[in-house]
Amino acid sequence: MPDSFDVVIVGGGHNGLVAATYLAKARRRVLVLERRPFVGGAAVTEDLAPGFRVPTGADDAGLLRPEVVDDLNLAARGLRFLPLDPEVTAVGDHAAIRIWRDVWRTQADLMAKSPRDAEAYPRFAELMTAFATALDPLVTMTPPNVAEPSLREQMALFRRALAVRRLGKATMQQMLRVPPMPVRDFLNEWFETELLKASLAVDALVGTFQGPFSPGTAFGLIPRFSPAVRGRGRCFVKGGMGSLANALASAAKDAGVTIRTGAEVRRITSRDGRVTGVDLANGERIEAPTVASNADPKRTFLHLVDPEELSPEFLVRVRNFQTTGVVAKVSFALDHLPKFPVVGDGMPAHFRICPSLEYLERAYDDAKYGQASHAPFLEAFVPSILDPELAPSGKHVLSCVVQYAPYDLASGNWDKDREKLGDQVAGMLEEHMPGFERLVLARQVLTPRDLEDRFGLTGGHIYHGEMTLDQMLVLRPVPGWAQYRTPVEGLYLCGSGAHPGGGVTGAPGYNAARQILADTTRRAG
Amino acid sequence: MPARYDAIVIGGGHNGLTTAAYLARARKRVLVLERRHVLGGAAVTEEVFPGFKFTVCSYVCSLLRPQVIRDLELPSHGFEVIPQESSFTPLPDGRYLYRHGHEEDAFQEIAKFSRRDAETYPRFGRLMARLAKFIAPTLTMTPPDVGSLNPAELRKLLALNKQVKTLTEDELYTFARLMTMSAADYLDEWFETDVLKAGLCSSGIIGTLLGPRSPGTAYVLMHHYMGEIDGAYRSWGYVRGGMGMVSESIASAARSYGAEIRVNAEVRQILVRDGRTVGVELASGERIEAKVVASGADPKRTFLKFLERSDLPADFVRGIENFKIEGSSGKANFALSEAPSFSALPGNGPQLQGAISIGPSVDYIEKAYDDAKYGDFSHRPFIDMCIPSTLDPTLAPPGKHIMSCFIQYAPYTLRNGRWPDRREAFAETVIDTIEEYVPNLRDIILHQQVLSPWDLEQMIGLTGGNIFHGELTPNQLFFLRPVPGWAQYRTPIKGLYLCASGAHPGGGVMGAPGYNAAREILKDWSLLRM
Repeated sequence: MPDSFDVVIVGGGHNGLVAATYLAKARRRVLVLERRPFVGGAAVTEDLAPGFRVPTGADDAGLLRPEVVDDLNLAARGLRFLPLDPEVTAVGDHAAIRIWRDVWRTQADLMAKSPRDAEAYPRFAELMTAFATALDPLVTMTPPNVAEPSLREQMALFRRALAVRRLGKATMQQMLRVPPMPVRDFLNEWFETELLKASLAVDALVGTFQGPFSPGTAFGLIPRFSPAVRGRGRCFVKGGMGSLANALASAAKDAGVTIRTGAEVRRITSRDGRVTGVDLANGERIEAPTVASNADPKRTFLHLVDPEELSPEFLVRVRNFQTTGVVAKVSFALDHLPKFPVVGDGMPAHFRICPSLEYLERAYDDAKYGQASHAPFLEAFVPSILDPELAPSGKHVLSCVVQYAPYDLASGNWDKDREKLGDQVAGMLEEHMPGFERLVLARQVLTPRDLEDRFGLTGGHIYHGEMTLDQMLVLRPVPGWAQYRTPVEGLYLCGSGAHPGGGVTGAPGYNAARQILADTTRRAG
Repeated sequence: MPARYDAIVIGGGHNGLTTAAYLARARKRVLVLERRHVLGGAAVTEEVFPGFKFTVCSYVCSLLRPQVIRDLELPSHGFEVIPQESSFTPLPDGRYLYRHGHEEDAFQEIAKFSRRDAETYPRFGRLMARLAKFIAPTLTMTPPDVGSLNPAELRKLLALNKQVKTLTEDELYTFARLMTMSAADYLDEWFETDVLKAGLCSSGIIGTLLGPRSPGTAYVLMHHYMGEIDGAYRSWGYVRGGMGMVSESIASAARSYGAEIRVNAEVRQILVRDGRTVGVELASGERIEAKVVASGADPKRTFLKFLERSDLPADFVRGIENFKIEGSSGKANFALSEAPSFSALPGNGPQLQGAISIGPSVDYIEKAYDDAKYGDFSHRPFIDMCIPSTLDPTLAPPGKHIMSCFIQYAPYTLRNGRWPDRREAFAETVIDTIEEYVPNLRDIILHQQVLSPWDLEQMIGLTGGNIFHGELTPNQLFFLRPVPGWAQYRTPIKGLYLCASGAHPGGGVMGAPGYNAAREILKDWSLLRM
């Protein structure tokens, strides 16, 4: 281990590891400090019960940037994607709809529900793909400086504008019209089957404190259609998401990164507006000219950085960054797979219970007033179907994203309501799969409070902060500071609180590393 | 035989009349056709009950473009604004918030709830007013045709870009956030007093089927700082004689330039020959020819009722069908035997002369919205009231008053029942709600007129009962209004124009769509002559 470092990364989440590796590959001496006994952050597989392994954080690796997979040679490090097909099985009251990788197969299935929707679906997918294709390069780009855009930034924006214009005038106009719409209104323009609309809406709503009637949610439909990730589609990682963390850690170590686990950063130290290093909880001090925080913006600026270094205006903006989580994670160890009559032939590896748009909106209404949804929507994964090693032979794990479970409850508290939530989810599953509850060998309920404690996510927000239009691109995390830099010179953000936001993409880490290299090279030169 | 008219304007609403006045002023022979027996559309005053002149629909004036007032010399035609300087929000617990236009008074009143908010309040107002000033010029411009490669259109975009650059970095960010945030979230960043936030954010939801927690509603906060009377921003006012006087004065101006105006003349069809309009056909069967037809009706009525779908491109028809125009509000007008007395602040004092709102908290308004989301009127609606007779005695017999109540939410499409059958229940809900603040209300009501969105549609021809001719959400604003590619007042039918709230910049008594449409029509005139 080197005795001094060029860069210290606070937090070994997947973005921290990505940033560390790119920096080390550029010959920087990098140290990653992780509070927990293992790296990965919310990309992690943990024991639910002896022999049962579940992803306690993220489930789906479908959005991981191909640049990262290729550059870090993750395939050679044991990373295996297990594609889901059907990608989604949407479950309503007495119906199920499958969304396949192949649009035409989806169309054929939809024919039985609604010929009109079947006809529309491929055109819908085509339009979404056109939007996503034009926007995709933004994901791996540093948002421009609004005050004084450099010539290069202006050129990049101009190229994006041209790409959008090249879609044709009509599509371009749609692209300007659609994102601020409520996802409900947009889907109503296309489809009539409630279950189909609700399922598509869930893609736009997972992790966000908005309902399908909320303006701006239509934007959330687009990322899934990005051509960069479309080839892989929705998928699990073999061995669970923790294997992705392991592959990233292996890449990091090979590049020369030092990783220390069980090393909690207590403070990011600074002097005269310049970062100087970090203090650990055990009292140890580590100096470095550059620190990149994989922690969320609120944790970084309100807990780790000396407030003296930050202007009151900046602090107000950080406090106003919306980070109220609405997701709980409930996982089950199952003796064997239950029957799922409405789905028919066997248990899908990914299904969601979301009968209608109104059902979703009502679930949101409860959360608006500080209550957990009386009838939440469930985004459920059964990874052991594709990856039997996650459970003892013949047994299974089922893990659910439950929404809406607001971090702040108007009355009561999550410690009291935790198991009530578990019972509620088990009850919902029982309704669809008679006998389900008898199969449960073990259960784990992670409320937003638990997600905060476990992963250090402020407000339990799985994306480090809302992914609404007012917290995106040049506005993420706060206006004026969207280029990974912070008011403390030498301190950077490299996690989901920065552009392009949350999800297992690796993009914030990738972009932050590029920015750090650009800045430090310039300084050295 | 040459046509008797150069242009026909469908609908004698204030925008249609504005277009007519400008065209007549440019020496065109103009005919305005109004279906009803009175002019004004939704800006109308009617003596519904003897001695009581109700300003039936729209009830305050703030955004009427100064150019229109000046160019058409409206004051000389009887237009006069009486400033409405305060706003009063009673609370169920007997407290109240009284915001006065004077900064010092406002400070004292807000400080009763929070000193911090009282200090912040003027700063908030200044920021909003600054941004509103930036937006104001766009109201009277024709939106660019985004995506067009026509050099003139590209120049427009560059000009807009240049205008954007006049904002500071901070203002630019604020602007972007206002466009995308909810009024409630944005106000949470500024204030801690719930009733103050409720009062401010109510202006963000008026006329729209969104709640204060819906993203995008913050933008409308700023819009409401655009009111300008004699150059003062954020000033609202009554029009002497009621809102109908806006329309009457514009009509009088139009007539003075030679425009002909016919009431009781309902248009049934817009006549089209070879992709070009040739005039209109009335319900009576009468046909009237003209080279230009400007429709003051909303886009759905104009394109889906007055025209054959086969006359229009399929994409365009789909866009119009998708245009959101679901009404969300109703109106109740009361004739009162005396001035109402609020238990929070009794008596006939200055608090009755300004805006009065029943909307004590952000959650109250959001819950009112929740009811409407699922197709019911709010059980406890937000109500924006005014009693213009306190300042304009001509509106009611001596000692008596008229009280105008704008009620939200009342969705056009009810899940249970039809409006004609639910109107009574709706009226009772409104009276029950007000009675919680004005205990003797039932005793002083002499007459009442309750209008649901369905009634507004029947009476004024507003599709869906939408008071703005279509939702004012970002996907239906500026170059996207009413549909992408057709935001320059022109339509796929040559010679047919939109001249009212369904076109940029949208609803409200601004006169801007009518003013802009007239400009575009006159610009095309020479081409039409060919």
